[in-house]
Amino acid sequence: MSKDSQMRAAINQKLIEMGERERLKELLRAKLIECGWRDQLKAHCKEVIKEKGLENVTVEDLVAGITPKGRALVPDSVKKELLQRIRAFLAQHAT
Amino acid sequence: MRALRVNQLHDALGVQAIAQDILTDLVEDACLGLCFEVHRAVKQGYFFLDDTDQESMKEYEIVDQPGVDIFGQVYNQWKNKECVCPNCSRSIAASRFAPHLEKCLGMGRNSSRIANRRIASGNNNNTNKSESDQEDNDDANDNDWSYGAEKKAKKRKTDKNPNSPRRSKSLKHKNALLGPKRRVENQESPCVLLRDEAFPQ
Repeated sequence: MSKDSQMRAAINQKLIEMGERERLKELLRAKLIECGWRDQLKAHCKEVIKEKGLENVTVEDLVAGITPKGRALVPDSVKKELLQRIRAFLAQHAT
Repeated sequence: MRALRVNQLHDALGVQAIAQDILTDLVEDACLGLCFEVHRAVKQGYFFLDDTDQESMKEYEIVDQPGVDIFGQVYNQWKNKECVCPNCSRSIAASRFAPHLEKCLGMGRNSSRIANRRIASGNNNNTNKSESDQEDNDDANDNDWSYGAEKKAKKRKTDKNPNSPRRSKSLKHKNALLGPKRRVENQESPCVLLRDEAFPQ
């Protein structure tokens, strides 16, 4: 198992060093805005805030309330495209 | 053979898993980013800024009808209108009305330039070196009393549009103003000769 985690660490490092992680992040961000994911999630944020109260809401509240829904709401097309790019990077730069 | 195939399969699945994990990380980063933005907006008080009462929201909704812009205003209503010129009493199309008025009334930048050039053609001998150092910007071109800036502007204009239909118009005046226009191209222009005579160097 440790070999696996070593390999993952190495891959992550390479992703960051080559700037590919930033590019992937930007790509994902653009795609999510385009497909309306961000607006959907923002509306969900409003609900969480109304529930917890405007003055008392903390970052943890938001994260706990938003992240599971956020993960589920990502459209399949966006996931596919990102996975494709990641796999291409791995094929090129990992063993 | 089989062992090799199993290994390859194992690797392929491994790659899939890694790729999936990387994607999960990225999505979580995006969620976190949104949470931070929203939290800051809430604490700074601008999160609910764009929500007003239902009535105002209805009033300023984006309009999506044909023939009308997004505010609900008609945007091509001046296409077919015609106006009557108070000076020459002709009927002019609305979009050509302003330039026509400029020429017709003899006001505005262009008509005063033309008029000044006609005057200046009588003072051909007054050009000298200092006028060639006039500023090159539009403000200087508005100083209609300075002939040098005007001529320089006119020269640049003709350089820019060698094929424009107005060429013949400027040629008309070119004959009247021999010297300054050909100052650089034609060394034999009377103006240049005159300059050399006046300021021997």
